[in-house]
Amino acid sequence: MAGAVLQGVNLTRWFGGLCAVKEVNFEIQAGEILGLIGPNGAGKTTLINLVTGYYAPNGGDILYQERNIAGMKPHTINNMGIARSFQIVRIFPKLTVLDNVRSGLVDRRTRSPIRVALDSILRSRDSQMIGRAGQARGEELLDFVGLIQYRDELAENLPYAYCKRLEIARALATEPRILLLDEPSSGLNPKEQNDQITMIRRINAKGITILIVEHVMKVIMDISNRIMVLHYGEKIAEGTPEEIYRNPKVVEAYLGGETSAQG
Amino acid sequence: MNRTSIKLLFGILGAMVLLALPFLIRDRYFQHLLVLSGIFVILSTSWNFLAGYSGLLNLGHVAFFGIGGYSSALLALKLGLSPWVGLPSGGIIASLFGICLGIPSFRLSGPYLAITTIGFSEILRLISMNWVELTRGSLGLYGIPPFTALKLPGGLSIRFVSEQNVYYLVLIFVVLTLVLMHKLTHSEFGITLKSMREDETGAESIGINTSRYKLTVFMISAFLAGLAGSLYAHYIRLISPEMLSLGETFSVLTMVMVGGLGTLFGPVIGAVLLTFLSEGLRFLEDIVKIDIRFIIYGALLILTILFMRNGIVGLFRKAGQSDSGRPGD
Amino acid sequence: MESLFVQQIFNGLIVGSVYCLIAIGLTMIFGVMRIANFAHGDFSMLGAYFSIYFVALLSGWTGWIGSLVVAAVGVGIIGFFVERFLFRPLLTRWTDIDIIMVSIGLFILLENGARLAFGTAPKMISDPFGSRSVNLLFFSTSIIRLLCFLFSGIAIFLLQLFLTRTKMGVAIRATSQNRSAAALMGINISFIYSLTFMVGSALAGLGGVLYGTIFAVFPMMGAMPTLKAFAITILGGMGNIRGAIFGGFILGVAETLGGNYLSMQYKNAIGFVIIILVLLIIPHGLFGGKQRT
Repeated sequence: MAGAVLQGVNLTRWFGGLCAVKEVNFEIQAGEILGLIGPNGAGKTTLINLVTGYYAPNGGDILYQERNIAGMKPHTINNMGIARSFQIVRIFPKLTVLDNVRSGLVDRRTRSPIRVALDSILRSRDSQMIGRAGQARGEELLDFVGLIQYRDELAENLPYAYCKRLEIARALATEPRILLLDEPSSGLNPKEQNDQITMIRRINAKGITILIVEHVMKVIMDISNRIMVLHYGEKIAEGTPEEIYRNPKVVEAYLGGETSAQG
Repeated sequence: MNRTSIKLLFGILGAMVLLALPFLIRDRYFQHLLVLSGIFVILSTSWNFLAGYSGLLNLGHVAFFGIGGYSSALLALKLGLSPWVGLPSGGIIASLFGICLGIPSFRLSGPYLAITTIGFSEILRLISMNWVELTRGSLGLYGIPPFTALKLPGGLSIRFVSEQNVYYLVLIFVVLTLVLMHKLTHSEFGITLKSMREDETGAESIGINTSRYKLTVFMISAFLAGLAGSLYAHYIRLISPEMLSLGETFSVLTMVMVGGLGTLFGPVIGAVLLTFLSEGLRFLEDIVKIDIRFIIYGALLILTILFMRNGIVGLFRKAGQSDSGRPGD
Repeated sequence: MESLFVQQIFNGLIVGSVYCLIAIGLTMIFGVMRIANFAHGDFSMLGAYFSIYFVALLSGWTGWIGSLVVAAVGVGIIGFFVERFLFRPLLTRWTDIDIIMVSIGLFILLENGARLAFGTAPKMISDPFGSRSVNLLFFSTSIIRLLCFLFSGIAIFLLQLFLTRTKMGVAIRATSQNRSAAALMGINISFIYSLTFMVGSALAGLGGVLYGTIFAVFPMMGAMPTLKAFAITILGGMGNIRGAIFGGFILGVAETLGGNYLSMQYKNAIGFVIIILVLLIIPHGLFGGKQRT
């Protein structure tokens, strides 16, 4: 399909006797913001884990840059240009906010660990992303997400909402083409949600394709170009926000009141 | 700025003292302890690299020490190679064994890795005790040649039999090791390791191939430990399977914890302190006629972890700043 | 040849039963509190020394059986204090590494303290039956060894009863499965921690007497049982008591057979080899979660 930057073909993943993702076919168009919704347990996070390499699918393929990346390791996939955030944030607590971002700046795409070690020994502080260049770029990213004033603070001291932003900044540091966000709005109050919508839009404006999993309806309806709906591991609907909103199957799937109260 | 110039001043003074030390204190026994301290600084630093900076608990570390020593000694004794060849060889061979432990570390952590590493070093110790044709078993290897004399232009040659000269040799390697450590930890490599230590899953998500980095760390750490082993072998000139015993690992552990895990100078302070303390205790034991050395080690380890988690370096930091946190720069 | 083989198997089972006891204690403690106690074998050592001194007081088989109780209770009490003052402060504060280090420090302390207190010469727990042996259907063994096997079995059986039929036992199992849920159910976690550690240590102490009866008693005897207990718990699954029983017998038999048919000197290495092989193939993360498959 023209314009598709990532494609999932018949993706399937089992956990014991439970089928978490069942023959899901999807496409992400270059430059769009694709929303992924569904009741709890629908398989949304599993799908993200499949795409980013944390799980290998039991069946199906994931096509990216004319390669099948299904089953590749997370670091390989990241080095190919796909980054993510986590549902429960995974920042580096004892590193400073700036260092959290700078850790993402290190070029591991082209260099093996031994090469990185050698570069570090021979060039130390000036070595690429840890020297002045890294400082500047790191600050730029922090500024972009609005955390610049906390740059020297230990990440573990940040309030939760800021940690989420930090994680996104760190993911952006790896210069991804696609960014997968796993429930970035959970735990945020309405004002924070609005700020986040703005930020995600700005990320998208830079040309980064985004897949966003979300429970908070307000955010996802507002921000997505298209939305995909999963239910019990299967894709039950796909379309523009308006189409999804009115889709009877979607309404039925949610008719258990599992939507976020803030939606 | 003031702090930097003070540090620089201390650094220069310290360097001068270190260089002049064997001439200031001529007691041979003292110099012997200095050499031993230096060797243990290298060994402790290498262990600290694994455990403190990378979060990899290796309780079989002395295996690398022993491999380095035995390799170097055997190369000299059986193949007649110069100890100068044995020195890097010991390091390289140990490094290859480092791969053996690096691989399990991909999937194991905490106690599981710890116990596997103990198993590794114990198996090696059993081998060194039982493969008598190669290692002479419990008798060990003796008569290991010292580092061959270096000939200087002008006809002078430096021999490496006396404590004094070996001290300078070891000092050079200590400095090289610490410089290496500093460069590795205050750099891209360092920040990558710290990321891995903090959250492996998160680290993977930003492109860090945790397995290969762990492997690299093991190889570097093992190399340094092997180097230390080789220095030890050609200095003491007698080695035995005791070199590979768990007791030695625990000594190293205690040195690093007391000095300060995850810091650059922690292992240095710890190694020097405990080497001298150990000898001091030996005298005490002779006087008091009780075997208290290891008891004090054990108690020291426990007390350090309970009350002084970041070691001596940590105490200094606390005095200087308000937050103390875990192993940092 | 055949009967020798069978004999070895039974020898292995006897030794294995003792390993089981010690391993169960370790795995319980790890399962409930996630403490990997590297000094666990030293509790066995203490138990063995308890026995020696008690048997000196009260000889004969009553003395020996009495010493089992004394060792279990004595070591249990020691365990209480160790848990309370050494491990408890660390559980909330620091990381895995710290707990392991402290237990190593304890190991060094206990071993060398014992050397100081008891001297390095190995002692024997005097065999109340004077090494008389008994001939059963397929094998023969000394009476005292048979009793060791018997008492191991009894202890394991009683433990299973405790864990399944008593309130406290069920509470322990609940805590090992899900600590926060257990706390919400009104279980006093602090009490459970103490109890678990005491029971686990008592088992180690008991196992120590049996171990010392079969082999010998000396200050450094703790190291091997510790490492073997770890091998067993890893084989059977950390926290899994049935696995520990299973693993204990396997190790006992494997060691005895290996020692006889392969090499005496490397006998002790068998435990390590098992650990390494098992861990390489099936690391503890059975449910990978976010880890890659």
